Amino acid sequence: MGDRKSKSNIAIEVRGLRKVYPVGDEKVVALKKINLKVTRGEVCCIFGTSGSGKSTLLNQLAGMEKPTKGQVIVDGVNISRLSENKLAAFRQKHIGFVFQSYNLLASLTAVENVALPLMFRGVEKKKREILARKMLKRVGLANRFDHFPSQMSGGQQQRAGIARAFVTHPDIVFADEPTGNLDSKTTVEVMRMIMDFSKKYHQTIILVTHDPQMASYADRIVTLLDGEIISDEKRETFTKENQ
Amino acid sequence: MKKSDILFMCIQNLKRRRARTFLTVLGVVIGCCSIVIMVSIGIGMKESQEKMLAQMGDLTIVTVMPQQGGTGSVKLDDKAVEDFKQIQNTVAVTPKTSLDDYSIRLYAGENNRYVCDWSTVAGLDTTAFDNLGYDLISGKAIKDNDNEVIAGQYLAYDFEDTMRPDGMNMIERYGNYDENGKELPLPDPYFDIMNTKLTMEIDNGSDKFTIPLKVEGQVKEDYSKGYETSEGLIMGLGDIKKIIERAQNGSVSKKGYNSVIVKVNDISNVSQVEDEIKAMGFSTDSMESIRKPMEKEAHQKQMMLGGLGAISLFVAALGITNTMIMSISERIKEIGIMKSLGCFVNDIRIIFLTEAGIIGFMGGIVGCVVSLLISLIINMVSLGAFSLSNIVLAVRGGEDVSRVSVIPLWLLAFSVVFSILIGLCSGYYPANRAVKISALEAIKNEQ
Repeated sequence: MGDRKSKSNIAIEVRGLRKVYPVGDEKVVALKKINLKVTRGEVCCIFGTSGSGKSTLLNQLAGMEKPTKGQVIVDGVNISRLSENKLAAFRQKHIGFVFQSYNLLASLTAVENVALPLMFRGVEKKKREILARKMLKRVGLANRFDHFPSQMSGGQQQRAGIARAFVTHPDIVFADEPTGNLDSKTTVEVMRMIMDFSKKYHQTIILVTHDPQMASYADRIVTLLDGEIISDEKRETFTKENQ
Repeated sequence: MKKSDILFMCIQNLKRRRARTFLTVLGVVIGCCSIVIMVSIGIGMKESQEKMLAQMGDLTIVTVMPQQGGTGSVKLDDKAVEDFKQIQNTVAVTPKTSLDDYSIRLYAGENNRYVCDWSTVAGLDTTAFDNLGYDLISGKAIKDNDNEVIAGQYLAYDFEDTMRPDGMNMIERYGNYDENGKELPLPDPYFDIMNTKLTMEIDNGSDKFTIPLKVEGQVKEDYSKGYETSEGLIMGLGDIKKIIERAQNGSVSKKGYNSVIVKVNDISNVSQVEDEIKAMGFSTDSMESIRKPMEKEAHQKQMMLGGLGAISLFVAALGITNTMIMSISERIKEIGIMKSLGCFVNDIRIIFLTEAGIIGFMGGIVGCVVSLLISLIINMVSLGAFSLSNIVLAVRGGEDVSRVSVIPLWLLAFSVVFSILIGLCSGYYPANRAVKISALEAIKNEQ
């Protein structure tokens, strides 16, 4: 059903999304009614202050929580209906994550951390470590293969995190405040890296941030306030407004 | 995920928290040890009981006697003997006749210097002799002619020396101790029964006659086979029938045999054979009547001891559960990350179960090794001195060594398997908790 062209062109489609959290006896509406379409290869920034619902939206897009109402369709699949197992398989195939606090596993080396998503897929050790090394080289960590996260700086850890997010060549990469813990110099480095990967492999990036500086890296900026989209603009208009 | 990868993740996690892993494993080690040691003491008890019984006699011998006081009951004759041979699991059957109805006097040595006033003579089917399991100390088996006999182990001690004064004319078999109360080795009898002329005098009340005997061998004492193996004589059935005929002045006895000896192929079949013989209308006797209650008691004690050990393993199981729950609450974020990176729920469950299983396995293996050491020490202490030969005895046991603690291979295998199972069971609840952790935990930033 539907035209195949639009299906392959649209990476993410959100229809009438609503999310309500029960807090004690009251209900907090985190997302009111979100409609959104993200094209393939687009770098889309979800921008907003804390409490605007941007993190909730990310959770919904990545299938970490079930919506109260509405649908999230990623690569043509309604992920809000998937079972936990199918969701895991779906994540393995289509989704990559870059976290604010890097989230590398402390007991594993850089190579092992980057190879982790491949391990979950059941890729052989030799093969996945070759791929992981390749990725680490590309993020400039060729001399940190066997280092543990505790032996690396924040910037290095985040670069390893990026390598891990892209090692499976996912269709969509979610980046949640990826530079929130980094200084301005490494921020530029890390953001360039993410943009590079996305352009090279035509990957969709969903960038969540509260920092207008960061948002200006995106092609498109969706601004949230109190669980509603208040603006959806191209980078040029956004930067003009924020200067 | 591949099995090798799951194992890798588990070992990483266990290595990361070495102290805790060590302590948890230690709990299992102690639990495993207490089970193994307790059960091994039970087995040791059973082993020494069985050795004790075996020393008293052959455990697979059933003695059949005619029903006591029964009028018109079945006769214990050649037909009955044939019937017994047909019973399953019997190896050999022989009737046993004695000269107990007459007074017997034995003479030995030059000019009949040595006299034995009281003895017992048993007549057996010599062809069944080998299969019956008689243990010859010296000499060879007898044929059923020429009055060939086999002497009981201690027969020679029953003779009086007529050349010595009363009261000093016998060699005491019992009560020979040195000044420290240690038992002395048995002194030699007056003569070697194998190389001494032996004559039997039979007195039927009105008449006396003598028969020269040829001692061909000497048999080891065995209570279950009869008193003749210790202080009597065994001869062929044909020979003894002739003697009885002569003692009764030529009339052939119509009485059945005094008893029949049946040899069974295995201890476990003794009661079956006994039951079948009893069903034919005879009464039976065997070591089974002693062995059964002893075995039952040993079994009960073993269960009791094993139960005590199981309690400590149960405590260890709680330790594993506790460790795993702790470990999970520490790893909530990590589990969230794994989920968000696409780790299957089932793989997470397997990882945690495997971790618990590994703890159980290691505890089981180390527990077995420690148990073997403890068992060795217990046995060494009970054997007395610490010497190399005692180590061998403590490990292997021996003919007359009763070990306090015996660890058979099955006990080791069982305890390892049991420890793994305990680990898996105690990991079940934590693993299910781990599975329920949401991928969202990866995104939460609590620092």
